[in-house]
Amino acid sequence: MLLELNNIYKWVQSGGQKIFLLKDINLKVEEGEFISIMGPSGSGKSTLLNIIGMLDVFNEGEYNFLDEPVHSLKEKHRSNLYKQYIGFVFQAYHLLDELTVYENLEMPLLYKKYSSSERKALVADMLDKFNIVGKQNLFPSQLSGGQQQLVGIARALISSPKLILADEPTGNLNSKQGEEIMEIFKELNKDGVTIVQVTHSEKNATYGSRTINLLDGRKI
Amino acid sequence: MFKNHIKIAWRSLKMDKMFSVLNILGLSIGLTIAILLFSFITFEKSYDTQYKNNKDIYRVLVNTTGDAFDKEIMATAPAAVAPALKSELPTVKHAARMLQHSFGETAFIKANNSNFLEKRLFWCDQELFSIFETEFVKGNAASALSRPNTVVLSVSAAKKYFGEQDPMGKTIKVDDKTELEVTGVYVDYAKNSTIDANLIASFNTTYFYKEPSWGNSSFETYVQLKENTSKSSLKNQIQQIIDKNIDKEGQWYTLSLQPLDQVHLYSKDYTNSYTSRPGNISEIKNLSFLALLILLIACVNYMNLMTARSQKRAKDVGINKTLGASSKNLIARFYAETGLLTLIALCIGVLLSVAIIPVFNTLTDGNLEFSFLLKPDFILGMFLVWLITTLVAGSYPAFYLSGFSPSSILKPANRMVGNSVIRKALVVLQFTASVVLIVGVLVVYQQLEFMKNKDLGYTPQNVVAVSTAAIKTYNNKHALAEEVKRVSSVLEVGLAQGFPGMEVSGRTIHKNDQDENGKGIQTNVSDASVLDVLQLKLLAGKKLPNLKQEGDTLVDVVLNKKAIDYLGYTPEEAIGKKVDMQLGDGATIIGVVDDFNFESLHKPVGAYAFHNNNYEPKSYLLVRFNSVSVTNTMQQLEAAYAKVSPDSSFDYTFLDKNMEQLYAQDRKIAKVGLLFCLLAIFVACLGLFGLAAFTAEQRKKEIGVRKVLGASVLGITQMLSADFLKLVIVSLLVAFPVAYILMQKWLQEFAYRIDIGWLVFFIAGMCAVIIALITVSFQAIKAATANPIKSLRTE
Repeated sequence: MLLELNNIYKWVQSGGQKIFLLKDINLKVEEGEFISIMGPSGSGKSTLLNIIGMLDVFNEGEYNFLDEPVHSLKEKHRSNLYKQYIGFVFQAYHLLDELTVYENLEMPLLYKKYSSSERKALVADMLDKFNIVGKQNLFPSQLSGGQQQLVGIARALISSPKLILADEPTGNLNSKQGEEIMEIFKELNKDGVTIVQVTHSEKNATYGSRTINLLDGRKI
Repeated sequence: MFKNHIKIAWRSLKMDKMFSVLNILGLSIGLTIAILLFSFITFEKSYDTQYKNNKDIYRVLVNTTGDAFDKEIMATAPAAVAPALKSELPTVKHAARMLQHSFGETAFIKANNSNFLEKRLFWCDQELFSIFETEFVKGNAASALSRPNTVVLSVSAAKKYFGEQDPMGKTIKVDDKTELEVTGVYVDYAKNSTIDANLIASFNTTYFYKEPSWGNSSFETYVQLKENTSKSSLKNQIQQIIDKNIDKEGQWYTLSLQPLDQVHLYSKDYTNSYTSRPGNISEIKNLSFLALLILLIACVNYMNLMTARSQKRAKDVGINKTLGASSKNLIARFYAETGLLTLIALCIGVLLSVAIIPVFNTLTDGNLEFSFLLKPDFILGMFLVWLITTLVAGSYPAFYLSGFSPSSILKPANRMVGNSVIRKALVVLQFTASVVLIVGVLVVYQQLEFMKNKDLGYTPQNVVAVSTAAIKTYNNKHALAEEVKRVSSVLEVGLAQGFPGMEVSGRTIHKNDQDENGKGIQTNVSDASVLDVLQLKLLAGKKLPNLKQEGDTLVDVVLNKKAIDYLGYTPEEAIGKKVDMQLGDGATIIGVVDDFNFESLHKPVGAYAFHNNNYEPKSYLLVRFNSVSVTNTMQQLEAAYAKVSPDSSFDYTFLDKNMEQLYAQDRKIAKVGLLFCLLAIFVACLGLFGLAAFTAEQRKKEIGVRKVLGASVLGITQMLSADFLKLVIVSLLVAFPVAYILMQKWLQEFAYRIDIGWLVFFIAGMCAVIIALITVSFQAIKAATANPIKSLRTE
């Protein structure tokens, strides 16, 4: 088992009242799964994804990731955990504007203290794999949305994470570009990468092996 | 990693050109000022350190103890002191006296058949060269001044007097009477040397060598102690020497030793120093304070501009954190960026300083040179400045931005960055400093203007004092006066010892025998017509009689009102009274003039007397002329002078110019203050501009919504500008009392001063408000005219 959420609650205080963002979420994710999280706006999809990605904290419940109790880990330990095992893909791509494609891919490796030769090899692999060798010296602003998202995915994959978390990865793309991206996810999943995506699109959800529906912070 | 930080920093500088320029500009200005002042301060502190024995060299100070004078410390000692110290104290290795020619007057020099004026002629003991090592190009230090009537010249003086000829063995004639043989040429003293002589003549030529007295305290005296001698151990021994030579009643001073490293900066309150390069530690402190203030403003500015881009920065931080960056990585990154930017700014600053050095030198009467920028001390100093600026300026972005949590940043809605209170406080701080500077400059200028226009009780305009020191006989001086009277534009002429604005002889006036302390009084030997030349107002009695009978021991005195107030008379009562003022028993008051400011307006009017006792020579011919053609008048005066005294140069001083000279220091403060003020305002505007840009960006959505709902461009511009006006007004409220207190303190240095009126604050306030409005409205209009569709579209 990759991760397990038990009775997760998250709320915010507003005017003396608790507003629940997530209520009693239970979820088990096995390695190799491809899960889609669906639900209307404000149902807590992104919050759940951020909690899985350890970018956000919850108020109650237990979270075990590879048998590590995330809820009782220190901040530093927790960030080491997600650095090592989790890759993120965002709706708005979130590439670093000042860096070229090559440098964007290299960035996570720098933070993980890979040697220079390892970095070169890994980046070259990725460029090759996603067929963007010719674009390696361009800046994000010189790429189309689909290409940017491709770089975003390549960047998420570069340090070979076990889990990819994707928050509406096709949200800013047209349907053709979106389809290409989803095909890539499908391929990755076949190669054994676990994927959890948030999506609005029924069609995209069908790429997944399982769909979780949220409404008002509850699983339905 | 580090390379990567620099790369990102460099690229983001390039990407946001306007912000980078604003940022670098602000920092460069701050750093330029810091560099200039840093070099100025280092230069001032380097005074006299070039002398090998500087740790063992001391200047002898005379601390007056008598009651007659106000307590005073003189930088000059009696002529008998140096030989006594040398012969009686084994720890004194060398001792030397320096007397500036005629106690500080200009020397008239005839050399190579031409006439010259020389202000830096000194009569010195040869041992001076042992104390302050002096490199001789010709002749040698050990023997050049052993004989009387010898002189050594600096290289530049030798060139001035003899051109390319070899000066050795030639003679020069001083004041048309003393002939001196040139026995050496020495390398000019460095610009950071207190000793600044152009010509050094042998002390044993002078009368004071043969008859050294313990009374006349006019000789700047330096001693070099044996190594590792503490000066405190000498205190009693020096007192014993005084006790041995002066009986207890006659002792009006004690002697003390001032270490050489304090001579330049810590001698402001000591009188009689001969150097033309006095330093002032409080000036250095004030300038350092101002420099730090400007540097701080520049750093604050940087922080402000950095946080103005924090929306974008916050997103970057979030992305980097999800990619695995630790806070440490990010702090390092922001510091790298600040460091790079500061380095660029520093380079620009150094270039700017090099360009500004000449201007700065004129403003501060400084002697900075470009070569200074290459000294190791300076480079180390610059490194420190760079490091400190980077640490201070980079602290806010580094710690503030790197602390964001990734999830909150990646959600646009949550990206409400900002501790806006801190940012606003920073802008208020900048503006407060600027307003204080504006008020300061206005007050300084008002005071200067006030001093220029104040009725001094006499009229210094259109009066010139022609030096008659080189004219030997009394008759010739009168001949000159007669000659000058014939010039058509000349209105009044009179001979006198000195003129208002220069020191004349200090004496003591006593009410009666019981009045032991007495009161200090300036006494000036003068002709009757001097009162008319100066246009003094005679309150009672008459002017001095012009001619005095030979052997007449009676002395006629005209006192000013202050003096007779002290004596307790009304002007009318005073006439005919005998007065005890060290002018002999027969001194009689024959006239009373109204008070006039014979010193700078820093000091209140003291007692002053014109008299006709011939103790002192009449060294000046005071001439009042009509102002139609000053050049023409001066040419005629020079011709008249040449007729009477063909063998000496024509030297003159305009009285009003001389008065202005008394305020040179004040004008310097005003000029430097004005420069700083302008720069500070400029930098503060950059800060405000940054904050305005930040706010406009942050309120983009709000502005969009308002526009969609029908707000006009004018309305939005007003709304945005009003917020900033509030900040400026807060700055004003803080700045006014601070400025008032500081400037009141500064004004205390003047006996005659202005009241700080509301107008000053009004003008300063208006300046600040207008400048702020112009700065802010640029951003406000930009934000208000932007298309709301763009700002309302989400990412």
